[in-house]
Amino acid sequence: MTELSLRLAVTFAQILAEMSIVMITVATLTYFERKVLGWMQDRMGPMEVGPYGLLQPVADGIKLFFKEDIVPAGANKAMFALAPMLTMVVAMIGFAVIPFGPNITLDIYGITIKPFVVADINIGVLYILAIASIGAYGIILGGWASNSKYSLLGGLRAAAQVISYELNVGLALVGVLMLAGTLSLVQITEAQSGGFWHWFIWGGRPDGFFPIHTQIFAFVVFIISAVAETNRIPFDLPEAESELVAGFFTEYSGMRFAFFVSAEYANMTLVSCVASALFLGGWNAPYPGTILEYIGLEQLAWVEHIVWFAAKVYFFLFLFIWIRATLPRLRYDQLMRFGWKVMLPIALANIIITSITLYFFPR
Amino acid sequence: MTFKAWIKTITFYEILIGMKATMSHMLHYRPVTEQYPHEKRTLPDNYRGMLALLRYDDGTEKCVGCDLCEAACPSRVIRVVSAEVPGEPTKRFSKEYYMDMTRCLFCGLCVDACPVDALGMTREFEWSVYDKRQLHLNKEQLLAIGDRSFPVREKQLELQHPNVAFFNVAFKHLPQKPG
Repeated sequence: MTELSLRLAVTFAQILAEMSIVMITVATLTYFERKVLGWMQDRMGPMEVGPYGLLQPVADGIKLFFKEDIVPAGANKAMFALAPMLTMVVAMIGFAVIPFGPNITLDIYGITIKPFVVADINIGVLYILAIASIGAYGIILGGWASNSKYSLLGGLRAAAQVISYELNVGLALVGVLMLAGTLSLVQITEAQSGGFWHWFIWGGRPDGFFPIHTQIFAFVVFIISAVAETNRIPFDLPEAESELVAGFFTEYSGMRFAFFVSAEYANMTLVSCVASALFLGGWNAPYPGTILEYIGLEQLAWVEHIVWFAAKVYFFLFLFIWIRATLPRLRYDQLMRFGWKVMLPIALANIIITSITLYFFPR
Repeated sequence: MTFKAWIKTITFYEILIGMKATMSHMLHYRPVTEQYPHEKRTLPDNYRGMLALLRYDDGTEKCVGCDLCEAACPSRVIRVVSAEVPGEPTKRFSKEYYMDMTRCLFCGLCVDACPVDALGMTREFEWSVYDKRQLHLNKEQLLAIGDRSFPVREKQLELQHPNVAFFNVAFKHLPQKPG
């Protein structure tokens, strides 16, 4: 009994830490996105609240917290309330299987914990795909329950788009799964240790440098589909401002609106984490081992690992913002044609080629 | 599709060009923003701001109540109530003078129409108020705006445009008015 309660306490502490990290990342990201977009468009971004607008996320949070919570007439109240919660919760619990740091174990009073991953389950990738699909329900429900034509159109677009691009996400990951031979994100990341030529985007064999198993095509497909799945520009058709006011969250205000927006940023962070863990070697540095290990600080090597993971995640987040600053929105038929006629064949061909190379050059 | 175009398509060449453009704007960061309440832009010389009634050097109002500004105004901003100066039947002044600045479009036609230069456009523009009635100005308020915007009323020749000075001397060869 004491072991169970201790285990529960440790797990809750881990969940709390992970959620606060994600929320801090989301808050940072709202500021970071506005700043970077401003810089790229010869503007300044937020400058008023605090030095260089640094307190803008806090001000936004307080403002949204005290805003009136409007439920439109004719809305399905239960569904209307459920949708933002569903989206937010789903965006949060996806992080449970993400390994933020190296796979080390700690023994505390007889129980073994992994400090940098909340739940190292052996179906991690499958879990993330399943959770991401549930996130689409929140968007569709929010669009449908608002009793507004714009919301409904946004929800319908989200349904078609998220489902068709999720297929590409899943198929792009198959090559990686074949290379690693496991679905656990911790073990997939461990399989890429020892330099950037072991990362699955390069795809060298464990004893060689030549990129025989390269997953670069799967990587590109994954990134594009991830942008589409998180409803970001240039695939932000569910919330196309110039056509559908705000898409599926047109009728939302106050904290519910904040939930949708934070869920979008959390989803961005989640796909960045997945992309760095699966293709860019997760916590592994691009050189074998760690520098802190070489200079004799083995017990602090995890710091360097975490810094590398954060650097990769923030690289992807910056890439998303960069793409947003550059590209206009696609037309709807272009979006669907790109998804089904370009991305899907590339993902399928990648699976076949990876299987063939894996058959002739097994790892 | 030629081979070159095909290569450009599969390597996202055009998109990369666009991303290079945005990145170069970020790296050579020169914002066009002016942080308005903290730093204000330089107004042009002929800026047409808030309207004001002016006075002569001795403090008397210039306005003679001729109603020409009211006639010239396209938005019917101005309302003048003219009256005789008591005891002097040949002189008139504006007993009441109202401006509804909510309607003013700052065209400056009233200033052009005024025969005695009693109206002027100041360089004030920060006139946003919470109550619309505060933009309904009477004569005392308009004179106050004029007093604070043009505190020095005598001609400052050193500030005059050289072309104006040229015209002033250029007519010296014409026969002067006797007396």
